[in-house]
Amino acid sequence: MDQTRRIRMTCRLFLLLSAMLTGVCAFAQPARPAIPPDIAGEWVLQSNEDPGQIGGQGQPTLGYYLGIPFNDAGRMRADTSAESIWGTPEYQCRPHSAPHQWRGLGGARILKEEDPLTRDIIAYHIQFMRGLDWPIYMDGRSHPPAWAPHTWTGFSTGEWLGNTLKVTTTHLKDGYLRRAGPQTSDMYTMTDFITRHGELLTAVTVIDDPIYQDEPFIQSTTYQVDINATTNWETCNGSSTGENGGNNRHWVPHFLPGQNTGLTEWLKNEKWIPEEPTRGGIKTIYPEYKSALNGSIKVADLKVPASKTAVNSSKAIADQSPKDGDVHVLPVQGNIYMVIADGTNITVSVGDEGVLMVNTGTPAMSDKILAAVRQLINQPPAPNQCFGVNCRGTVGWSSPFINNTISSPTPAKPLRYIINTSAAPENIGGNQKIASSGYFPRGGGFGNAVANPGRAAQIIAHENVLFRMSAAGPNSPAAPTAAQPTDTYFDEFHKLPEYFNGEAVIVYHEPSANTDGDSIVFFRHSEVISAGNIFSTVSYPFIDLEKGGSVQGVIKGLNHILDLAVAEYRSQGGTWIIPGRGRLSDTADVASYRNMLSIVRDRVQDLIDKGMTVEQVKAAHPTMDFDGRYGSDTGSWTTAMFIEAVYKSLKEKK
Amino acid sequence: MRRLFPIVLAGVLLASTAAYSHHSYAATYDVGKEIKLEGKLIQFSFKNPHSYVTIQAPDSKGEPQRWSVEWAGTSQLSTRGITQESLKVGDAIIIVGRPSRVPGEFKLLMVNLTRPSDGFSWGTRSGEVVE
Repeated sequence: MDQTRRIRMTCRLFLLLSAMLTGVCAFAQPARPAIPPDIAGEWVLQSNEDPGQIGGQGQPTLGYYLGIPFNDAGRMRADTSAESIWGTPEYQCRPHSAPHQWRGLGGARILKEEDPLTRDIIAYHIQFMRGLDWPIYMDGRSHPPAWAPHTWTGFSTGEWLGNTLKVTTTHLKDGYLRRAGPQTSDMYTMTDFITRHGELLTAVTVIDDPIYQDEPFIQSTTYQVDINATTNWETCNGSSTGENGGNNRHWVPHFLPGQNTGLTEWLKNEKWIPEEPTRGGIKTIYPEYKSALNGSIKVADLKVPASKTAVNSSKAIADQSPKDGDVHVLPVQGNIYMVIADGTNITVSVGDEGVLMVNTGTPAMSDKILAAVRQLINQPPAPNQCFGVNCRGTVGWSSPFINNTISSPTPAKPLRYIINTSAAPENIGGNQKIASSGYFPRGGGFGNAVANPGRAAQIIAHENVLFRMSAAGPNSPAAPTAAQPTDTYFDEFHKLPEYFNGEAVIVYHEPSANTDGDSIVFFRHSEVISAGNIFSTVSYPFIDLEKGGSVQGVIKGLNHILDLAVAEYRSQGGTWIIPGRGRLSDTADVASYRNMLSIVRDRVQDLIDKGMTVEQVKAAHPTMDFDGRYGSDTGSWTTAMFIEAVYKSLKEKK
Repeated sequence: MRRLFPIVLAGVLLASTAAYSHHSYAATYDVGKEIKLEGKLIQFSFKNPHSYVTIQAPDSKGEPQRWSVEWAGTSQLSTRGITQESLKVGDAIIIVGRPSRVPGEFKLLMVNLTRPSDGFSWGTRSGEVVE
């Protein structure tokens, strides 16, 4: 074999091996480079474009929006946000919002989680001083459904683009783009491009918030490796009543429009900066803006190459509460499941004593709801785990677990209770059919002397629900007796007389909220609150003034939920709250909604105090910064109707 | 919303301080103003990243209020010999601080603290600024 041939053979062999190796790698992780750079380790913050750096202060300045592609809603939200919100009980332990995590002090620690068998990287975990563990999954798992909870770090998946790790994050909570004002909604997505260059690590972050921005906002942060560094850790030790002083634990700090007079203070020391671009907006962040600065063109006439958001906010919000004629089930915690039935959330407790449902959806969904509940209570038995030395004393047929092995499990108990949180059609619509599928013994006994009238599940509600259902309306008959509550309460709360599925279940009345008959239901061991229509993640609260509702009552109800609920850690998780409509939530989500509603209430009250009519108040757009998130121009509950209800609540029930 | 603000003492001051708070001082507090409180200490929470002094003192209407005063963290205070034992519940103290920017909020950023009974003070010497 001559040398040329040997070289050719060697090359072919090399190419073949390369192809095989590539194939193997591609099979394992398609987007990963052959040898991905190792980004794990201890990193210290080196530089960023944080505006605080300008004055060497390290903290952003109030009113500094340079470079932020704000829309009008985003600017209003920033102007009226108070930094004191950090001091409220619900937020004093929250970590930095995701866009700011890279900017926070204390360094970053990046860990690798490996498959113990293959050593493939399952996930990277990034940790900051004021943060929760941020997992970035590399194993190809999909992002959760839209009705899953949002968290401070969101849900992240990663893929390698050459030597850059692209991280896509969804399911983020609302927070701030940067400190001192600029906010994000909870509908933004974040994309990080993390690249290692030797000793340096660069994170380019794209924040795409369709509610507050006209186009994505991009920032970069550089870290330097430091093998001697240790990422600091800050535990939360906030006080139970917050840090804002006073004695109102429900205090929501904010500025009324025009009240935040400190927005331009910093310009007194930076006289060379014109005020207009400091207010943000896409027309001020492109080079074309120079023409406006020298006066050759008006800003309004400027054309700039804006890149549109990739997030369809209307769809993303609607997806949290899908009206698709179908049923979706989300396991929550303890005994509790959240069943989404054509846009209405139903809370279901499943356990040894049977089933309890909070609300029953619309009549059209009853069959599908019942089918979903049957699936929950008739799940196939798990293989027996009680055997041998781990389960002494339960031998053979005396073991209750043998039923699993012989495929003869104890029959599931039926539906026992329905609790209606209001008389809204989507809460009571399925009462008759669904209740008749259940069984609750009522009386009877004494041999055959007293007949047992219980042939259906018990239906519990506040007595005002029964009053409404039993009375014919102007265009509707009274509800059938079989659909009406069988047991009502009139007090502040009603406790189920004994544990159900091993826990206390307490029904609280929330007076004058959406109506005069609203309840919330607290599952005390599972740590779940079913909030009914008081809380929604997809719309402003429906306030029915004619049926005794008021904005003050809804806020009071939300505050009650916040008083009952406890976060698991850093203002996240813990007590789960199931809204009437929308995604599964926690205390921070309820706080955000309560804050929004309190802010709207204060703004409308301020306009009333100025002598405005309801039409003038509507024209003043007091909800502009929240309309993209909760508002609607069409449908049965529009923004205008909501503002009018708030106005009348405050005007008539002061 | 609650409103009010007591005695405005000083005019424009320098912009904010250092970088260790989870929130921005300049955005939280009106660094161009100072107010003075005289009252009884309810609680001294000696902790990181910042300590808090809770004091009962009258507002501008003379109504007693719980004021929350943000102070330095333990490391900074320790360099001046301050410990959890330095302040006692019920101490009569005088605090000068920068008020919250939010109208009606009862909180301050500590500028100086004095206890007349024994002359204890902080904030009057060089370097005694909340970081």
